[in-house]
Amino acid sequence: MGNAALRQLAALSEVSFDDLDGRVVAVDAHNWLYRYLTTTVKWTRDGVYTTSEGEEVANLVGIVQGLPKFFEHDLVPVFVFDGGVTELKDDEVAERREQREKAEEMLADAQERGDHIEAARLEARTQRLTSVIQETSRELLDLLDVPYVEAPAEGEAQAAYMARRGDADYVGSEDYDTLLFGAPLTLRQLTSSGNPELMSLDETLDEHDLTYEQLVDVGILCGTDFNPGVDGIGPKTALKLVREHGDLFGVLEARGEHVEFADRIRELFLDPPVTDEYEFDTDVDPDISAARSYVIEEWEVDADEVERGFERIDDALSQTGLDRWT
Amino acid sequence: MFQAIVSASTLRDALDSVSVLVDECKIRLNEDELAIRAVDPANVGMVDLTLDAAAFESYEADGGVIGVNLSRLEDIAGMANTGDLVHLELDEETRKLHIQIEGLSYTLALIDPDSIRQEPDIPDLDLPATIVVEGTHLDRGIKAADMVSDHIGLRVDEADETFHIEAEGDTDDVDLELGRDDLIDLSAGPADSLFSLDYLKDMNKAIPSDAEVTVELGEEFPVKLHYEFGEGMGHVTYMLAPRIQSD
Repeated sequence: MGNAALRQLAALSEVSFDDLDGRVVAVDAHNWLYRYLTTTVKWTRDGVYTTSEGEEVANLVGIVQGLPKFFEHDLVPVFVFDGGVTELKDDEVAERREQREKAEEMLADAQERGDHIEAARLEARTQRLTSVIQETSRELLDLLDVPYVEAPAEGEAQAAYMARRGDADYVGSEDYDTLLFGAPLTLRQLTSSGNPELMSLDETLDEHDLTYEQLVDVGILCGTDFNPGVDGIGPKTALKLVREHGDLFGVLEARGEHVEFADRIRELFLDPPVTDEYEFDTDVDPDISAARSYVIEEWEVDADEVERGFERIDDALSQTGLDRWT
Repeated sequence: MFQAIVSASTLRDALDSVSVLVDECKIRLNEDELAIRAVDPANVGMVDLTLDAAAFESYEADGGVIGVNLSRLEDIAGMANTGDLVHLELDEETRKLHIQIEGLSYTLALIDPDSIRQEPDIPDLDLPATIVVEGTHLDRGIKAADMVSDHIGLRVDEADETFHIEAEGDTDDVDLELGRDDLIDLSAGPADSLFSLDYLKDMNKAIPSDAEVTVELGEEFPVKLHYEFGEGMGHVTYMLAPRIQSD
């Protein structure tokens, strides 16, 4: 997912969780959940993560196991869910679906052969946010009183917009595209065990002496979620070309290249569909016992998978900090 | 400039009280006292320590600040026998601390104080109840609570004029009741707060068993624990943030 070529240009630094105390992070919900859907299921039996009806519940396990980390560091997450799929992305969605179908075939094949490791790997790739996952994720967040926002289109774009307006201190995503959506500060690796990585838009622009619009053009030349990029142009070349020719169109003209819908792709980053119609309360007061029975009883998740997570959430949220009295 | 001689046991008591909360700290080498203030990374427990110049065999300092790795310094202090004297001398040039204990010389590399977490502001607390209790009583209550729960309640019963150290477990409960006769002093007021036992256990470890502990308490307020060491010339105040009591 996203634009890995941008990593070579992004200004990244490690930040300590301790320094994030009391901050708000707008988390790209799809991106965050996807990590848990792919890693939770990996190397394990699928039976644990589906109900007797065959519904997937790995998202619920992911939420319960992933949230404590935020609360233990007093970092408030606001999850931003994707809205309708952007028209231009249809191609990629179709392509992903095709890849997934292929992976599913290979998975059935591997299962037949009794190749468990290959099957587990393929299963990770066939994960997707089904309508059940969409619904149960929101219901569990409601019970845990964790705020979320519905984006009109791209969750990343909405999260970046909220951060630009100052309603969130950071965007949380693994995707380097948050830079192109204008997220001032992005926290990466929120699901890993170590400290997160901080990606700064201003520092990235300063480092390469680019304007934000030029960075978007560099991104489009390298390829984004919405376009495949121009053959033979990597991040360094794209940087050089944009500096030399001023913008995307100058580069394309000089090279005699063409990017389909270039105008509209640019617009999607520079002026994406976002909404002001959101509000959220960062004072989280969860109903742990209701959440527990939702996950364990209603959705048949093995208590062992989530008990520790619930305890950690409860513990983190009932402990106050001394800064409340200073 | 810093040059001091101190008994190993006083130095160890001072270091222990801070190391239960943080791994590194700044030490202020003031003219009339050595001072440390630190808060744990989660902002839940704080220590405010001073050791008067009079607690040292000799003490000369001019207000500098050094950063130290506490476990390293504790290890070195651990090389001394109880009656031994520890010589400390700061080399301003190399930013190293020379430590000498009975013929053993150790040169300790210091940490840049700017790289250590900022010293916290002390919470502004006006706590309604004050209990002065022997360290052994506190220790007994904490041990009992630890048998049943991860949390510990500290409460004053104003009517009975008693201090309670209590804990509710999943199945078992404990309550240590201390009346006026058991306590050194009690100034009753509305006081009932719940705390993480992990923190309180660690703080309790640093409190010498013969110490008198002054406990200042409120309702869902941080607790202040004050005690002295080094023959009354070392002063420690712990502050611990409460847990919100559910239901």
